[in-house]
Amino acid sequence: MYTLLLPILVPIMMGILLFILPEPKNRKNLLLYTGIILIFNGILVLRAVFSSVETFTLFSLHDQLSIVFKADELGKIFAVAVTIVWILAGFFAFSYMSHEKNEKRYYAFYLIVFGVLIGLDFSGNLITMYAFYEFMTLCSFPLVIHNQSKEAIMAALKYLLYSFFGAYMALFGIYFMIKYADSSVFVPGGAFGTVENQAFLLIVVFLMILGFGVKAGMFPVHGWLPTAHPVAPAPASAALSAIIVKSGVFAMIRVAYYVVGPEFIRGTWVQTVWLSLALITVFMGSMLAYGEKVFKKRLAYSTVSQVSYIVLGLALLNPIAMTGSLLHVLAHAFIKCTLFLVAGAIIFKTGCTRVDEFRGIGKKMPITMWCYTFASLGLIGIPPTGGFISKWYLATGALDSGIKIFNFLGPIVLLISALLTAGYLLPVSINAFLPGEDFDSKNVKKCEPDKYMLIPLIVLTVLSVLIGLFPNFLIQYFTNLISGLM
Amino acid sequence: MSCILTNQTFSISELCGYGLSFSFGGLRTIYFVIALIMWTVTGIFSLEYMKHYENKKRYYVSFFLTFLATVGVFLSADLFTLYVFFEIMSLTSYVWVAFDEKKESLRAGETYLAIAIIGGMVMLMGLFLMRAAGAGQMEVSNRLLLYIAGFCLLFGFLAKAGAFPLHIWLPKAHPVAPAPASALLSGILTKTGIFGVIWISVTIFWENKAFGNGLLVLAVITMVLGGILALNSHNLKEVLACSSVSQIGFILTGISTVCILGEESVLAAKGTILHMVNHSLFKLVLFIVAGVVFMNLHKLDLNEIQGFGRKKPLLQFIYLMGALGIGGIPLFSGYISKTLLHEGLVEAGLVTAEWLFLLSGGLTVCYMIKIYVLLFLEKNKDETVQKKYDNMAKTYMNKKTAIALTVSACLLPVFGILPEYTIDKIGNYGMEFFGLEPMKEVPHYFSLENLKGGLISIGIGVVIYFAVVKLLYKKQKCYGSFLPKWLDMENKFYRPLITAVCGVCKFICRVLEGLTDGLVVLLRKTIYRDKPLPHELAEGNEFTYAVGGFMDSTVKVLNKTVYKSNPKENKNYRHKLAMYYAMIHENNKIITRSLSFGLMMFCTGLFIVLVYLLTV
Repeated sequence: MYTLLLPILVPIMMGILLFILPEPKNRKNLLLYTGIILIFNGILVLRAVFSSVETFTLFSLHDQLSIVFKADELGKIFAVAVTIVWILAGFFAFSYMSHEKNEKRYYAFYLIVFGVLIGLDFSGNLITMYAFYEFMTLCSFPLVIHNQSKEAIMAALKYLLYSFFGAYMALFGIYFMIKYADSSVFVPGGAFGTVENQAFLLIVVFLMILGFGVKAGMFPVHGWLPTAHPVAPAPASAALSAIIVKSGVFAMIRVAYYVVGPEFIRGTWVQTVWLSLALITVFMGSMLAYGEKVFKKRLAYSTVSQVSYIVLGLALLNPIAMTGSLLHVLAHAFIKCTLFLVAGAIIFKTGCTRVDEFRGIGKKMPITMWCYTFASLGLIGIPPTGGFISKWYLATGALDSGIKIFNFLGPIVLLISALLTAGYLLPVSINAFLPGEDFDSKNVKKCEPDKYMLIPLIVLTVLSVLIGLFPNFLIQYFTNLISGLM
Repeated sequence: MSCILTNQTFSISELCGYGLSFSFGGLRTIYFVIALIMWTVTGIFSLEYMKHYENKKRYYVSFFLTFLATVGVFLSADLFTLYVFFEIMSLTSYVWVAFDEKKESLRAGETYLAIAIIGGMVMLMGLFLMRAAGAGQMEVSNRLLLYIAGFCLLFGFLAKAGAFPLHIWLPKAHPVAPAPASALLSGILTKTGIFGVIWISVTIFWENKAFGNGLLVLAVITMVLGGILALNSHNLKEVLACSSVSQIGFILTGISTVCILGEESVLAAKGTILHMVNHSLFKLVLFIVAGVVFMNLHKLDLNEIQGFGRKKPLLQFIYLMGALGIGGIPLFSGYISKTLLHEGLVEAGLVTAEWLFLLSGGLTVCYMIKIYVLLFLEKNKDETVQKKYDNMAKTYMNKKTAIALTVSACLLPVFGILPEYTIDKIGNYGMEFFGLEPMKEVPHYFSLENLKGGLISIGIGVVIYFAVVKLLYKKQKCYGSFLPKWLDMENKFYRPLITAVCGVCKFICRVLEGLTDGLVVLLRKTIYRDKPLPHELAEGNEFTYAVGGFMDSTVKVLNKTVYKSNPKENKNYRHKLAMYYAMIHENNKIITRSLSFGLMMFCTGLFIVLVYLLTV
């Protein structure tokens, strides 16, 4: 029973312990400590993932106010994604953070957030989820603010402002949900029985979706993303973009599919608005990324766009599209983590932050840039990489859904966005590997990053390609999961 | 995951989600063999051609990957598999175009990649729609949707094939790629597009007259335009690239005739297949000849390479085989396929198209004569240069290249002289792809009727050569172009269009993006009454800081102007005023905190009360 708590509490406790402990004299000890806990917790998570589904109530204040944990199928998918990304980005940080101050604080909060995220994924009802959601915002704040420059402080404040705005809307919704939902735990397919105040409840549902949409970077509340990502240290922005943003998606799924139920939303104005917002975000994010010159900001806009692919799939309320969404959760987590880590490796090794400074960088860091190229192809959706399969499912799901206008508009916008994705990712590769004949390629010094940086990059790239090549066991798993929802 | 080999298909299930499946036989096998031949010959030539280049590794990697992807395209049994390999092929072949990293190569590569990716995305849309329309099931539920899907797929395939108006990448990309790669790009990569066009035409648009006519218009425009562009160009490889556009037009004409005629289109179908095969071989030979020229001279401009071929009989022979073949001269293989295509047009009763077909044939003859004359007959204007060229007679290509090239060149007359034993059989073998029964009897290729068509084309070619090319050459004193520059569709239409559309979208997105942030700022300024960030002053307050700063700068200005000769000492008014301020502040504090001040205020209060009582 209590074993489910272990992967949540161990990193949190260890993070707090690390925070209290004095600054270690030897940097190696710090890394060893963090590394061991990351891997140990990875094992704990895997143990929880492979054990059977169990519900576990920690304590309850009141019939409907209880802290419940439950590792169900959906939570397991996200927990696995969190674990892979967190461990790899953590190892990347061992090398990257050597240039930064306050390393101890970074690792402490990094560990805490790890535990909080697992808690979020394994939480069994809205209250528990909300609590971890808020913890996540607060604990990831120090990661954004890490270098303490004025810019970072402003960005982190913006992050807080948007996050709290969203969280309060969600909290507002939760008050009503507790009254109307039949059960105090998540129920696949929704717990809404027959409801009287449908019109009012729809507004509540919409506010919750919008509130959680803040973390998912959905228009019009995406503003924090392109501000916060570039200022955070690269491994932190990788984790932000790959995981924290996905927790918004996760919360959305919980609300729409486990509390309210897809049948309640289907065909209402909420679905229409949800779809429209997702489509606008997909297009807007890509377009802005296309025009952006600062590399990390470009990637942040790309996240805005790509996460809305996932949101689009959710909003369609269609099993095939939902499969695409869940596939894209994994594909995007691995790909975007790779891309941000590549940005980190480039900053670490050369100090270049703008794409126009990347000329010929493929000659200096070939392995890094190959990882970048493969990840980019995945994000564009060139077969046989990961993004292709998820896009295929999203688009066919949209066409299957039979929602007027959106069934065609969805795939078209997805493809235009994919085109723009090619437009903002590939030129970087081309410029890196084919700098032009006047580039002095003979006097280029190789400056490939060390193994702490390279191995996570390579592993993530391979994962993102493998998802595309052998997606079927995942698809099978998702189909089973979704058949319980719709 | 499992591999299943059934009758003629081989499928690997679950790879890439839907599983990839391959099929053999017919046109697929023909093109598999042609791919093998072409990659072998260009591979042999590459060894010599690439000897002095850096980045050879890059070239060979993309060379092999593209081979695998191309074979994958030709062997794929369903459109999903085809799409997967098509995309891989487009990306790996990009490296060829941008290979030498020159400015124009990178630009051409950009165009190539853009068209490939746009084409790919539109094709993907086609695949989605096809699935939505229920293709593959017993009954197609939505015919209109299926047609739209067909057009989307066609767009992608036509872009790769280089049909008008998507031909723009071809004349830019082929000249800048290394010659063996251009031979492959033109000889076989464009054919993957054609392969797809045939696939779509015979599955979705079978016996659809309206579609056939529409495709015919595009085909004829491509055919004529390619010919004119080739005549206009003064770069050897660009001439060949434009010629590819034109020949693709010929092939497309054949496909559209098939669509119009339906079951009775055996001649046109066979012509299409044969012209595909022939064109692959022609372009293999011709581009490698161009490669030999470039390898020795590092130039491609017609005026500079003039006279290179003199005293090089082998090169002349090889070029002639290719040129006579592509020109459709009787006894060469091009004549066979063009005759079949022509007969198809006659059968369909399309008179205008038929004449334009003959005209394009004439244009082909004309630009081939032009190159032959300037390369092998005329002398270079600069005599020392000509001497240099003549001295290269022994060293201009090595033995391996010569053998590979001669063998492939000899195929063409063999095909042309003995059609019934060679090329006719190939045509029949590929017919299955069209879903047609192979022809029982061999057509009379050398009948008077057929010879007439060929001769008309040759006649037109010769007339145009003397009337246009020669005349122009005399007037300009060099080989130049006659079409104005503003006709360049890429620079004058596509690029500005894309820039404009992107600009508008970007503006809209910026506005959208700013909405929320703007609202937040507005709220901060109005409801929250946001103050500017606290700016701690070391001493004094804002007033003393501002006034002091003003006085300081006034003194500075005065010192520089009025008191130039006798500058006053800078007293640092900021500090001084701050001191005054602190003194006053301190005194105020002392006063306000004292008991006397309190009593005074008390008195004032009493006084005010008194006044109030008295007045009210």
